[in-house]
Amino acid sequence: MMKNINWSKYSKPIILAVFIIVLSILRPKAFLSLDNFSNVLWSVAVIGIMVSGSIFVYLVGGIDLSIATLCAFSAVVVVSITHLLGDTTAGVIVGVIAALIVGMIAGAVHGVVITTFKIPAFLVTFATQSIFLGLAMIFTNNKIISCTVPAFTAIGAFKILGFPLPVYFMAIIAVISWYVLSKTVYGRYVYAVGGNPEASEISGINVKLVTIVCYMISGLTTAIGGIVLASMTQQASSSTGAGYTNDVITAAVIGGVSLLGGEGTVSGAIFGAVLMGLLNNGLNLMSVPSTHAGLVKGLVIVVAVAFDALQHADQSRKKVKKVKKAAA
Amino acid sequence: MAGNTILEAKGIYKSFSGVPVLQNVNFEVKAGEVHALMGENGAGKSTLIKIITGVYTKDDGQIYWEGKPVEINSYQDCQKLGVACIYQELSVIPPLTVAQNVYLGREPRKGPFIDFAKMNQMTQELIDRYQFPLKPTTVVDNLGIGQRQLIEILKGLSQDSKLLIMDEPTASLSGKEAEMLFRIIQKLRSEGVSIIYISHRLEEVYMLSDRLTILRDGKNAAVLEKKDIIPAKVIETMIGKVVDESAGSRKMLHSDDKAEVRLDVKNLTDKTDRYRNISFQVHRGEILGLGGLIGAGRTEVVRAIYGVDQAVSGEVYLDGKKLNPSPKASILEGIGFVPEDRRNQGFIPLLSTTKNVALTNYDIVKVNGTTISDADELAMSKRAIEAIDIRPSDPNKQVGVMSGGNQQKVVIGKWLMRDLKLLIVDEPTAGIDVGAKDEIYSILEDLAKQGVAIIVVTSDLQELLRVSHRILVMRKGDIVKEFKNVEVTQSMVLSAGQGVEEEAK
Repeated sequence: MMKNINWSKYSKPIILAVFIIVLSILRPKAFLSLDNFSNVLWSVAVIGIMVSGSIFVYLVGGIDLSIATLCAFSAVVVVSITHLLGDTTAGVIVGVIAALIVGMIAGAVHGVVITTFKIPAFLVTFATQSIFLGLAMIFTNNKIISCTVPAFTAIGAFKILGFPLPVYFMAIIAVISWYVLSKTVYGRYVYAVGGNPEASEISGINVKLVTIVCYMISGLTTAIGGIVLASMTQQASSSTGAGYTNDVITAAVIGGVSLLGGEGTVSGAIFGAVLMGLLNNGLNLMSVPSTHAGLVKGLVIVVAVAFDALQHADQSRKKVKKVKKAAA
Repeated sequence: MAGNTILEAKGIYKSFSGVPVLQNVNFEVKAGEVHALMGENGAGKSTLIKIITGVYTKDDGQIYWEGKPVEINSYQDCQKLGVACIYQELSVIPPLTVAQNVYLGREPRKGPFIDFAKMNQMTQELIDRYQFPLKPTTVVDNLGIGQRQLIEILKGLSQDSKLLIMDEPTASLSGKEAEMLFRIIQKLRSEGVSIIYISHRLEEVYMLSDRLTILRDGKNAAVLEKKDIIPAKVIETMIGKVVDESAGSRKMLHSDDKAEVRLDVKNLTDKTDRYRNISFQVHRGEILGLGGLIGAGRTEVVRAIYGVDQAVSGEVYLDGKKLNPSPKASILEGIGFVPEDRRNQGFIPLLSTTKNVALTNYDIVKVNGTTISDADELAMSKRAIEAIDIRPSDPNKQVGVMSGGNQQKVVIGKWLMRDLKLLIVDEPTAGIDVGAKDEIYSILEDLAKQGVAIIVVTSDLQELLRVSHRILVMRKGDIVKEFKNVEVTQSMVLSAGQGVEEEAK
């Protein structure tokens, strides 16, 4: 019977398919080219990289509102250091390492402050968001600094088999993230802490440490995102990555990651990132003016989330029915 | 002093999904009396109160207010009559002042604005009249629990309430605060306010109340006048003589002192004085029952032994080895812990049986490098499901949607996968059906036979007698009584927990 098909299992591919079909019909030539496909992936890559790390934070029931400005600050760090070291390849390498370290330290600070002083994550990261922005402004003197060192621009532009390098970064980071979350003891602890911190504590899990590491991972992938973004645009400024906090959180939510913690998968989050990329690309191809883009994005997000919520409600109703049947 | 009947409930019936909770219960309060309501856990006290305050609707019966039949369908209805209920979970708002809390939602106005001067003055008048140690302008945030409770009472009085219902008002009060409350209760009584006083603490009831209604198994057991409120008699009525003769109400305790000591607790003392100088031992293969009233400090003691909370002083030894107070260290040494609040502390509702069972056991699940062996993890969970018959037996089932009994089996099951030396269970069968209860008891008994030492904290007297080999009773943070190799009855345990000397024979 039709009713026995578990639609919720396929809801994500169905949404994607609908999207692709609609766009192919409306803009067949522009949308269905290989060039455009790689474009979509290119714009998806940054969100994908960042959501693969920040999912750890959502899974432990936290949030990171500092993604956009930490992204800017790490972009500024890598570009400034490259300049300082005479625009050399060695400078790029040192700059990249420094930016990654900055990201991890920022995450560690988040984690330590949140767990030690028991301050809500949104408050802490809301405050640091402003700090990172300030640092990025101070380091750049509030100007755009450009960087065209070949070793640096290659990070974002170099192509293998037609795909830009960032797409490979995204794939690798997503796979690592998936592996850690679903195959390691640490991953199990992340879901446990997010699902019930008190029971986790009683089960002998170091809840504090697990949480701090989650924020460090999020800081790290945000920094990677910042480096890639700076390389793709060949410049860094305090507004690099502006808007990405929203895009990343939205990608996670569309992908079924619960902001209450304990629920969600990397594949879901990547689906969210792809959908966000398609949406941005679609709006572009349809030449929706940027003044209207935000409105359309918002509406699509509401519909997607409502659809997901409906599926969930349906599932839990079925569960109740099953329990009742079993009891009878 | 006591006048006409102000509230009368006649022939009240109430059942939840077919299980009768109240059967033909009658209850009557006179003007200006303190009327205590007592009964064991589950006797129907709070159900009766919730019917009077309109939280539940009764199945049958009639409530009369000042002689007239009334329908109470909501808390607002009962407030209109002049009944105020002071709940244990306080509903005061910390950032507001005392006066703002008292008149919340009923602020006196001057045009469109709140008349703060008048509000403070009205509050001050109430405070003066009953001599409350409060000031109208104090911000509640700075006040202790006792004073917050007084604000709740003020709220009730400010609405000219004729009847105040107090549910375990002293449960979270210090001795001094409680005395203050008693003084105020006596003052209220002399002003003609009636009070329904619900408490487990016999000495308070004895001191304060003019009359006492005792419920037992959802029925009226007795209404005692002041002169008849004698501890021995009250306890006897609460438990019921007939019940006391039947199975499960008395037991000959046997424990083997020669068995080696597994757990040795020495002078454990709490930072905030919830327990002090606790010393006891548990032997190999022994089930030690820890009895006493709720709030006697039992849960706090076992949490400190396991290391979830830290004691300020004292030591814990397991098989002669001093323990570090942390859950992880305890687990590695062979201690298992089943917490009191299953839903919030026991398991991860969104995760499957497999992942819940494995959660404490990743030191024994096979891990290749960093990769968990899914097969080994699954095999462990299947062993647990098999060993204690967890249902549904699907290892991938989310634990959050399972029945209470099976959830508890998952919580216990993860410990059975380990080489246990000591298992601590706190209220192991709270909210669990009878069948699952028996299964849990036999799990505990089997473990004891294998040499595991077990501590059972329970407020269910029948359960305490059923599983224990030896019983310790705690009261207000001290171990006050040990029952060892003697015949013990429910009344003896209850009396010890209440602090009543053994008049009840």
